[in-house]
Amino acid sequence: MIVRRFAVPVLAAMLVVAACGKKQPPPPPAPTGPTPEELAQRRADSIAAARRADSIAAARREAEAKAAAAAARARAVAAARTTLQEMVHFDFDKSDIRPDAEAILQRKVAILRASPDVQLQIQGYCDERGSEEYNLALGQRRAESVRKYLEGFGLSDSRFTIISYGEERPLDPAHNEDAWAQNRRDQFVITAGANAINPPSTSGN
Amino acid sequence: MTGPMRRTWGGVAKRVTGAWPPAAGWRATGRKAAATLAVAVALATASAPAAAQGRDSIPGVALGLLYATSSVPALAVKPFTGRFGGAAIASQVEAIIGRDLHNSDRFDVMDSLPADMAGGGQVDYQLWDHLGAVWLVTGQVEGAGDGFELVTELHDVVYEHVKEQGRFPIPDPSQPGFRMAVHRVSDQIVKWVTGDPGVAATRIAFAMATSDSTKQLYLVDSDGENLRRITNDPGLDLSPAWSPSGDSIAYGSIRGTTPSRIYMLDLATGKESMVPPVGHDAMETTPAFSPDGHTLAFTVDNGRTSRIYTYDLQHKCCAKAITDGRYYDLAPTYSPDGKRIAFNTMRFGTTVPQIMVMPADGGEAQLLSPYQYGNGGYYTSPDWSPRGDLIAFHGAIRAGTYHILVADMKDAGHKLRQLTWEGNNEDPSWAPDGRHIAFVGERRWGFGLMVVDVATGRLRTVVAGMRVSTPAWSPSLGGAP
Repeated sequence: MIVRRFAVPVLAAMLVVAACGKKQPPPPPAPTGPTPEELAQRRADSIAAARRADSIAAARREAEAKAAAAAARARAVAAARTTLQEMVHFDFDKSDIRPDAEAILQRKVAILRASPDVQLQIQGYCDERGSEEYNLALGQRRAESVRKYLEGFGLSDSRFTIISYGEERPLDPAHNEDAWAQNRRDQFVITAGANAINPPSTSGN
Repeated sequence: MTGPMRRTWGGVAKRVTGAWPPAAGWRATGRKAAATLAVAVALATASAPAAAQGRDSIPGVALGLLYATSSVPALAVKPFTGRFGGAAIASQVEAIIGRDLHNSDRFDVMDSLPADMAGGGQVDYQLWDHLGAVWLVTGQVEGAGDGFELVTELHDVVYEHVKEQGRFPIPDPSQPGFRMAVHRVSDQIVKWVTGDPGVAATRIAFAMATSDSTKQLYLVDSDGENLRRITNDPGLDLSPAWSPSGDSIAYGSIRGTTPSRIYMLDLATGKESMVPPVGHDAMETTPAFSPDGHTLAFTVDNGRTSRIYTYDLQHKCCAKAITDGRYYDLAPTYSPDGKRIAFNTMRFGTTVPQIMVMPADGGEAQLLSPYQYGNGGYYTSPDWSPRGDLIAFHGAIRAGTYHILVADMKDAGHKLRQLTWEGNNEDPSWAPDGRHIAFVGERRWGFGLMVVDVATGRLRTVVAGMRVSTPAWSPSLGGAP
């Protein structure tokens, strides 16, 4: 403790002495400028820096564009997957493909053509009316009529399997016309090539 | 009919025990009721064609009330007695038999009588005759070793003698075989009276959805007792069919994303096995055993065609199609002689399923259901009576309303009778007596497993308030516990 209290004033005194010793008038500056060589060098450096900045920005832009494209593609693939899984509905006791179902199936056809590795299971379902055994057969015909439609557009039959669940597993368990209309459907399950879905090309190539 | 009569009898019985002779004749009440029914039947039959045109939509088919038997004899069950410890279960045994005899629909049963009607060992035929009984059943339960014996007699009240008697082992009520043993006695009593065995010692299998969104098979005794689940798989089980021995059940089952396959369940061991599938993509459904149990017929449906196949169960081989490629056929059922198969077909259009009959190994099929071109019609789920005379199925009389129908095979025109008149009624299955039909009934109160007696038109609910489907009535389980 005693040492510290003593040391602080001594150190301050030494600093004052040192400052007084450096006090001199500065010499006049020499009238010098950059040599032409130096100027050329600076210009070249500046141009190079600007080019470097440009290329970095370009690379960033390129990366951003790539990421955007990848995101867009991911969105398109997800949309394609959703389209492949979109269900189609049927009229009571019918397995004919309705116009609204045909529009959905056409979108599936475009995706399936662009995605040759994708395989689907087509699942036929019915509403609760009618006997369960009859409905199993009706569900089978509903699945088959969609398979036949897809094959009609040149898609190989090896890419589709069908199954009927009859009146089991209703989407809406209610006992009314709205529920029945929901339950008369084909569902689609991707059984192979889930990672090889290509969205249909819109630009034509 | 029976409800009011039994109530009347209850009133009379109280007076009987108080003062003899009874003032009112139970028999007279019964006769009057029978006469009223006869008139009602005649009127209904006469007006049926006219009514049918306006109300129902099967062209050219007259549907009306027409029951083969409009009255049945009265049968009294004398309160059962017991000795050597048998008294403890005597009333329980009596109650099961009384209900079985009522369910047989062959008698107006007077049961649950006051205990002092048991009297002594003697039967007072004049008393029972006064009460209107034609038949009288007595029973005495005796303790025997770990179980009991039931000594039962069938008395002919009119001729005042014992017509038949028998001694039947009954296990202790805590044993699983107790109720079935008592049911066998009921069936023997029906056979003593009518010559035909009863169907108390039977069970009904059906499919029902579970809480874990699978569908499993269940069994229930013919009297609605002993409901239990018999499959435990991750699938959707449907369309059970009994082997003729009653040892196993065949059914269709969808497991995950595999199309329906045919499985067999051994009831004694609980072991399940799959019948080898005919194709990998087609679904296989609606199995049916041939009456000798050697062949299994079922449906193979690939969506383009649906054919009926047979499979040799003895040699476990030789699946073959017995209907042709371009047709859409399903749901086979054998005639009791095994020579023919009735089935469901879409040959007339996919929205107008009809019933046809063909030789059991395939060949030319003939239409059974009343199809007229352009008039629609929806007939499915045929089941051939074990007596061979009738084929039951269900049909849409009006669009969206289904009823149980039977077609007469003896009649060239296949006369059609409608057995249900209320709600929706589907998936008929014959009892081994060829007289009762189990089916899925939908009423205001919900769904249930119901039974109709073809002879009297009587209905009864076996299981109420459950969404049962595709019931199958077992053969007589006389030998099984």
